[in-house]
Amino acid sequence: MEPNDIARQLAPKLGAGLVAVEPLPGTAGRIRFRPEAALELFRAVRDELNFGHLSTVGAIDWVDHREVFYVVWSDDAKQYLFLSTDVPADKPHVESASSIWPSANWHEREAWEMVGVTFDHHPDLRHLLMPDGYAFHPLLRSFKLHEPEELEVKTRRV
Amino acid sequence: MWINMGPQHPMTHGLWNLRVKIDGEMILDVDPEMGYLHRGIEKISEDRHYNEVITLMDRCCYVAGFAWEHLYILSAEEALGVHPPERAEYLRVLCEEFQRIGSHLMWYAAFVQDLGLMSPFLYGMRDRDLVLDLFQSYTGARMTYEYMRVGGVRNDLPPGFSDQARKVLDWLDARFPEYDQLCLGSTIFRRRCDDLGVLKARDCVAHGVTGPMLRSAGMKRDLRKDRPYSAYDRLEFDVAVAEAADVTARYLVRMEEMRQSVRILRQVVDWLDHHPGPVLADHLPRWLGAPYAPIGNEGYLLKRNYPKGVGLSAIEEPHGEALAYVVNDGGEHPYRVKFRSPVFANISASRQYLVGYHVADIPPIMGSVDVCVGEVDR
Repeated sequence: MEPNDIARQLAPKLGAGLVAVEPLPGTAGRIRFRPEAALELFRAVRDELNFGHLSTVGAIDWVDHREVFYVVWSDDAKQYLFLSTDVPADKPHVESASSIWPSANWHEREAWEMVGVTFDHHPDLRHLLMPDGYAFHPLLRSFKLHEPEELEVKTRRV
Repeated sequence: MWINMGPQHPMTHGLWNLRVKIDGEMILDVDPEMGYLHRGIEKISEDRHYNEVITLMDRCCYVAGFAWEHLYILSAEEALGVHPPERAEYLRVLCEEFQRIGSHLMWYAAFVQDLGLMSPFLYGMRDRDLVLDLFQSYTGARMTYEYMRVGGVRNDLPPGFSDQARKVLDWLDARFPEYDQLCLGSTIFRRRCDDLGVLKARDCVAHGVTGPMLRSAGMKRDLRKDRPYSAYDRLEFDVAVAEAADVTARYLVRMEEMRQSVRILRQVVDWLDHHPGPVLADHLPRWLGAPYAPIGNEGYLLKRNYPKGVGLSAIEEPHGEALAYVVNDGGEHPYRVKFRSPVFANISASRQYLVGYHVADIPPIMGSVDVCVGEVDR
């Protein structure tokens, strides 16, 4: 499966919800979509492109925005497909994929507690690896392991 | 009534808690509580140089350290645009397949002990030690190896390794029928394990269950075949499958996988004998080895132009499909590292294969899942 084929198949259904389909090494492609179109896209990817297995869900903090990504696998094409969407940093939320792929449940719980992205209509969004009531999202860039020491960078004189 | 099985319970094999809702002896609902072993490996990785993350990978799964090193290295190499020499790829396969045998033997030992059979435990641990001895001979460590590097592996095999390895493989081949006699030949084992913890292929796919659990339901998905990495496309082996989807079927799949691993290893050892060569890529960028180089009496940060990129890799770990996603933002540390642990997904589906059985069935069923808490919590 090629990125162009995927774009051709999904574009009429999703319209503006589909931002781009780019090549990504080792996968069938990388679909960028708008968070509003999440459920429609998930359903199309599972039912029309036949990606039945959701491998993982994760999120990245890019400071000015956050990215939520999904990796799905097709047993027919024997390929991975990478889905990603950008959500604003001040109110990061996206529709939960667990109604489409039940396996999203725990992966989304982890992404929520680590990066602070809320998954709407998630059946059971609570802490998984951190204790209940833990007030931080450890994988945010603002959560420092230690304050970096001032390191004087010198250039070597030749 | 809700009861806790764990965090200290003989069933758990690690530190986690299975909350079980029961009515008499029936299981009505389960709710696994994880996180007792969370060390924040993904967070710490963001603060380390690429080769320094390998140390953490060994601790990720303490019975399959090599598999996790391999997984991380593949995605880090893709993110950095580095290619290993062919001999290093075969050496990595050697590591991973021996590790698969070691991990499955550890599982065998622990699983049969859950069933109350004591002697197979001793035999399993005895044979696993032979594999660990091999690891020690070329990495110096038995569990935390730190052997693989971005661009290859640390060192070549010592002289006489292949003879020793063949001896171990012959020994293992002769032991597998004995394992089967101890378990499959035992009426107690069969009555305890048949038709227990059934999870059909359809539910496995929906709930993200992979590895021996998925293959025991008759589904032939193995990333070594479907999406070959390293040298697997040049090696001959079959994918182990079973049909019954119960605890016995998972036992059969793991036993067959060990036999196939032996088959792969014979080919790999032969290949390594006849193809000497470098094990680390030439012309590696200097910043890979030493981001901070001592010059004179002071440390200087070597300013380099790091390439940008992302790497996505997936391997068939002993427990199932493991996936790594490394984002390289052009700094000396990875910007984000995300790992997908197969056991994480397999436990998350526990409601599907535990509800409806009895409390006494929990140890064999969870034993057949092969839980490694290190990689679930990371």
